[in-house]
Amino acid sequence: MALLAAVVVAVFLVAPVFIVVPMSFSTAPSLQFPPPGYWLGYYRQYFTDPRWLYPTLNSFVIAAGTMGLTLALAVPAAFALVRHRFRGKTLAYLLLMSPMIIPLVVSALAYYSFLGRLRLTGTHVGVVLAHTALSVPIALLAITATLKGLDPNLERAAMSAGAGPIRAFWWVTFPVLRPGILVGALFAFLHSFDETVVALFIAGRAASTLPKKMFESIRLETDPVISVVSTLLFALVLVGSLIALLARSRGRRAA
Amino acid sequence: MAGDLAARPPAPAGRLGGPWLLLAPAIVFLALVYAAPLGQVLVLSVTDPAVSLAHYRRVFTTPLYLTVLATTFRTSLVVTLACLALGYPLAYAMARRPGRLAVALLAVVGMSFWTSFLVRTYAWMVILGAKGPVAALAHALGLGRPPQLLFTTFSSTLGMTHILLPYMVMALYAVMKKIDPGHLRAAASLGARPLQGFRHVFLPLSLPGVVNGCLLVFTLCLGFYVTPALIGSPRDMMISQLIAQQVDELLAWGFASALSVVLLAATFAAIAVYTRVAGLDRLWG
Repeated sequence: MALLAAVVVAVFLVAPVFIVVPMSFSTAPSLQFPPPGYWLGYYRQYFTDPRWLYPTLNSFVIAAGTMGLTLALAVPAAFALVRHRFRGKTLAYLLLMSPMIIPLVVSALAYYSFLGRLRLTGTHVGVVLAHTALSVPIALLAITATLKGLDPNLERAAMSAGAGPIRAFWWVTFPVLRPGILVGALFAFLHSFDETVVALFIAGRAASTLPKKMFESIRLETDPVISVVSTLLFALVLVGSLIALLARSRGRRAA
Repeated sequence: MAGDLAARPPAPAGRLGGPWLLLAPAIVFLALVYAAPLGQVLVLSVTDPAVSLAHYRRVFTTPLYLTVLATTFRTSLVVTLACLALGYPLAYAMARRPGRLAVALLAVVGMSFWTSFLVRTYAWMVILGAKGPVAALAHALGLGRPPQLLFTTFSSTLGMTHILLPYMVMALYAVMKKIDPGHLRAAASLGARPLQGFRHVFLPLSLPGVVNGCLLVFTLCLGFYVTPALIGSPRDMMISQLIAQQVDELLAWGFASALSVVLLAATFAAIAVYTRVAGLDRLWG
């Protein structure tokens, strides 16, 4: 009984794949399913239209920037939170995690007026700053989870054998931590790449991201190219999951 | 020597700098880029255009806005219950039947989790649309034209349930996989039938997961924007749509800020109820 229900729910979860992927090869100019015929025309349209390519490029640039900045902030913070006990830790943790709890619309509104005053709305820098604040908690969760499993005695052993703290970090801590950092980086990248609400408010025209373009396109014209983009995004998630799986299995071997 | 090493309190990474030095970049960044803008929203809500509480009075006395608040709460509640009803059997199967099936189900949930909200919303637009598979099936069965499905309360509730379901399943699964199957075997050996064992042993032990999942889905749903904006009924707006509309179309910063503060307060209230039930340290598991 429970098993049957589980399978039905799983089918419900994957249903969109089976709709959207065939749609991307459809010849229909509107939302018609099953498709009346198949071709690759909308793929050609996506790969030649700057109105789609430019936001795609923006999304990659912004997600990469967000990933880098997020790691620079989250890796040291994860060390402080896992390795140390100190007064004010709960408060620090609450501040770092708050972007995960606060509704995106509220964050988006806050950014809109704040970045507007700094003249950063509609710029790549503005979107990277906004996305980084939202990605820090997600990356932090991934990195602290790995760090909790790392025995500090490994580093002590390296240091008692004559390695300085930096060499101990580079040769002992970092290799063990790498899968956690990789997963944290992946989460930050995908989160920024997917994020819609904040981008809608602050990205403007010049820094318009792919989700913003998709939202506007779905709302205004339901351009069939959306199903092409959706299919490509599925492919991206598949590749991302494979990377995460590989990182996990390599991490398990290393640990 | 070994005892000496173990007794030394500061961990090696500590020597690279105290905890606050390690935390400083993240804390300063979030304070400047995140907390300050949020504070500004708080201030704007009582100062724009003039210092007063008029915006809050307007939210709580205008029937239209009260309806929006009621819709937001009702929708969030329905979506939470729907996610629980669908997610529980799925998480149960994943936790209780290890092996290939569990891996496959986990992969399905993970893929769905990582697929963009927009893509999934778009898929429902196709499925429920006038030329979609539901309409085609109804036609093939000779049922004629189905009622309007898209741009209704039904379509946005269905879309949000689909999008938030993976969160519920993850929260339930995290707790369920830690339940020792030995407890259930013990119950069975004492004469409990499977259903009794489930009701008196498994269900109570899985309740923390239920509470976690419900809080997560409910708070995410309170502030949901994309799906109701794209496939919901224009007549029953959620609060996030109202906020966007006030800023986008009317440039009413003060009022939009007050609405945001109300949404924020509702979210915190839900979390406060939760911490009463489960304790703060459980929030991030």
